[in-house]
Amino acid sequence: MYQYTEVDQTLVDERVEQYRDQTRRFLAGEIPDEEFRALRLMNGLYIQRQAPMLRVAIPYGLMSSVQLRQLAHIARTYDKGYGHFTTRTNIQYNWPTLESVPDILAALAKVQMHAIQTSGNCIRNTTTDPYAGVNANEIEDPRPYCEIIRQWSTLHPEFAYLPRKFKIAFTGGPEDRAASQVHDIGLHIVKNDAGDVGFEVLVGGGLGRTPVIGKVVNPFLAKEDLLSYLEAILRVYNLNGRRDNKYKARIKILVNALGVDKFRALVDAEWEHTRGELKLTDAEIERARGHFSPFDYQGDAVKNDLNERLATDADFRTWYETNTRAHKVAGYQIAVVSLKPYLQPAGDVTDVQMDAVASMADQFSGGEIRSTHDQNLVLADVREGDLYALWQQLVEQNLARPNIGKLTDMIVCPGFDFCSLANARTLNIADQINEKFEQVDYLHDIGDITVNMSGCINACGHHHVANIGILGVDKKGEDWYQITLGGSSAADASLGKVLGKAVAADDVANTLDKLLTTYIAIREGNESFLDTVRRTGLEPFKESVYAPAH
Amino acid sequence: MPLLINQQLAENDKWQTLTDAEQPLPAAGAVLLPLERFTAAQAEAGSLELAPLVNGDDDINVVLEQLDQLTLVGIEISAFTDGRGFSFARILRRAGFKGQIRALGDVSQDRLAFLTRCGFDAFDIPAERYSNEIANAFGEISVNYQASSDEPRPIYRRD
Ligand code: HEM
Ligand code: SF4
Repeated sequence: MYQYTEVDQTLVDERVEQYRDQTRRFLAGEIPDEEFRALRLMNGLYIQRQAPMLRVAIPYGLMSSVQLRQLAHIARTYDKGYGHFTTRTNIQYNWPTLESVPDILAALAKVQMHAIQTSGNCIRNTTTDPYAGVNANEIEDPRPYCEIIRQWSTLHPEFAYLPRKFKIAFTGGPEDRAASQVHDIGLHIVKNDAGDVGFEVLVGGGLGRTPVIGKVVNPFLAKEDLLSYLEAILRVYNLNGRRDNKYKARIKILVNALGVDKFRALVDAEWEHTRGELKLTDAEIERARGHFSPFDYQGDAVKNDLNERLATDADFRTWYETNTRAHKVAGYQIAVVSLKPYLQPAGDVTDVQMDAVASMADQFSGGEIRSTHDQNLVLADVREGDLYALWQQLVEQNLARPNIGKLTDMIVCPGFDFCSLANARTLNIADQINEKFEQVDYLHDIGDITVNMSGCINACGHHHVANIGILGVDKKGEDWYQITLGGSSAADASLGKVLGKAVAADDVANTLDKLLTTYIAIREGNESFLDTVRRTGLEPFKESVYAPAH
Repeated sequence: MPLLINQQLAENDKWQTLTDAEQPLPAAGAVLLPLERFTAAQAEAGSLELAPLVNGDDDINVVLEQLDQLTLVGIEISAFTDGRGFSFARILRRAGFKGQIRALGDVSQDRLAFLTRCGFDAFDIPAERYSNEIANAFGEISVNYQASSDEPRPIYRRD
């Protein structure tokens, strides 16, 4: 993985001291609240219902075991012993004190990490496919380009005070595990007719109160033009994005207002200026790629006892079938570490678990760990012969629930328990769903499905792009939940449609039960839940939920 | 109000800023005028030296068209969160402007370094936001990756 140069290290070290001084001046009354707010946000620090919340960047979701151990150390030393992985593959701490943040940032800098631009109206961490570099369908590994973007966007002097936050996601091939179409910019590695590899560029996707699927602004961008084109988009947005209303300030609103053709014309005009100066050199692309060279895969990994293990241990087999994915090299598998255990908040992980996963990565997966957009962890390079030992260790840490891609692999925002913007609680509803659908066989019969939940229209839980979306709403002081069906954040991205009137808090799991019963009754062959909804529309589902009881 | 030029406290400044539309133009001297009034006043400027003061809502192209006649462009930052001035400065420098680009309005320590990188070389700082440590802002981060007005090459094109 990428190793810091002297420049990278100097930058994060000096940034820590800069922020330490800003905190000191704020506490001495020299920086007004509003202004310090912007400064702390650009260093990842929110103030929430309970306490400050610090969001640490995990660039494109990739960490080393050394880094994960440091994250565990921070959880233990400065927090209440846990952290929370987010849908943008970062980690959040919910209980640090304002005064301790400079020390936490210093601890991060020691292991080549930071919290720069993890919030605020600036360019955020670029996210990508957690299976980058190891899935067979990829055209090219996107991570070198993510690293190139990381450097360009970090402390970019011109784009620190954008109209609103700005998020970029990258995919390496036709599959999309990064929700790239609901990002401000989505970049897809593609091959054109001439066989050249470049990028398809989408712009103006997003969730929140105005969910939009991104539009193609450039079907094929040459590799060398990556940064010049991004810089052109950002300059057009910085100058033209709305600043009078923060709910209309995202780039999606600008693109919709202008229309994508007019927006493209503005970008192209600006691009004329940036194309020369920002052209990427072959040497730079090669340098970045050199940091992500494939592992030293062993040909003898194909000889292993996996089949015997699968035949003799049913629990292991269930885990294997659900929580591993095909690797591009024979004899290896991608193992997903479930952060969705029974009755625990999605994405939460304790210091002990982090230390354990770090040592599993050292033993079984080249010392690297990835975080995913749906709030799990991945060990990407596990020899098949090691899977059984890995599984046993995961079981010990309560990280082996066989539910990846299944109903209980939900994305859930923190909701009212932690978030000051929430309209409704979410964690209790997630528990309710877990209790109702505990049975593994039933979950496996339902098959692959996404269920996401947000506690308000800001949509941190990505409910719009879930097969079943759950949105908390407040009705006269009570929590109610609006259900949407048919959303997807994958390559076939779509926004869910509202099923009907909201359901009461204690009725959410029952409602899901009705939806799933209907699905099982009407599905054709191996049809997934999503495909069934797309084929039949909402009617049969509406009927099952709202029809008067017989 | 304290004025920093090229990171030094400037003692003498000939420029007078006239934002009150009622206030008449002086007979002589150097005056910074909001863009619209600047455009209107040029014909009758006489011996007055005029410079435009643009804000985020103005069309920077109006300034670009007459850049070779200007020695100073003022950019009003109406709120510190308004980042348009950063892009304006870059566009002016890119067009070859060698005169002074002065930031006015909500200008304070923690943006000076980025503003400088984008091409500003003068800062009109509200008195209550000025302190003797303010120049520290320029040296806090000694490295960068991007091309900007101070360094035309991004890090990967530098030798
Ligand atoms: C607990 C405190 C939190 C607050 C106050 C908060 C606030 C917000 C707000 C206001 C937005 C909408 C911004 C906009 O549309 O411009 C937003 C979007 C988002 N939040 Fe949060 N959030 C919180 C926690 C989280 C957590 C824990 C996650 C990850 C699990 C998360 C992930 C996201 C994502 C992915 C979006 C993007 C939606 C988009 O692209 O429009 N947030 N958040
Ligand atoms: S969706 Fe709403 S309730 Fe949930 S974390 Fe975001 S802002 Fe808070």
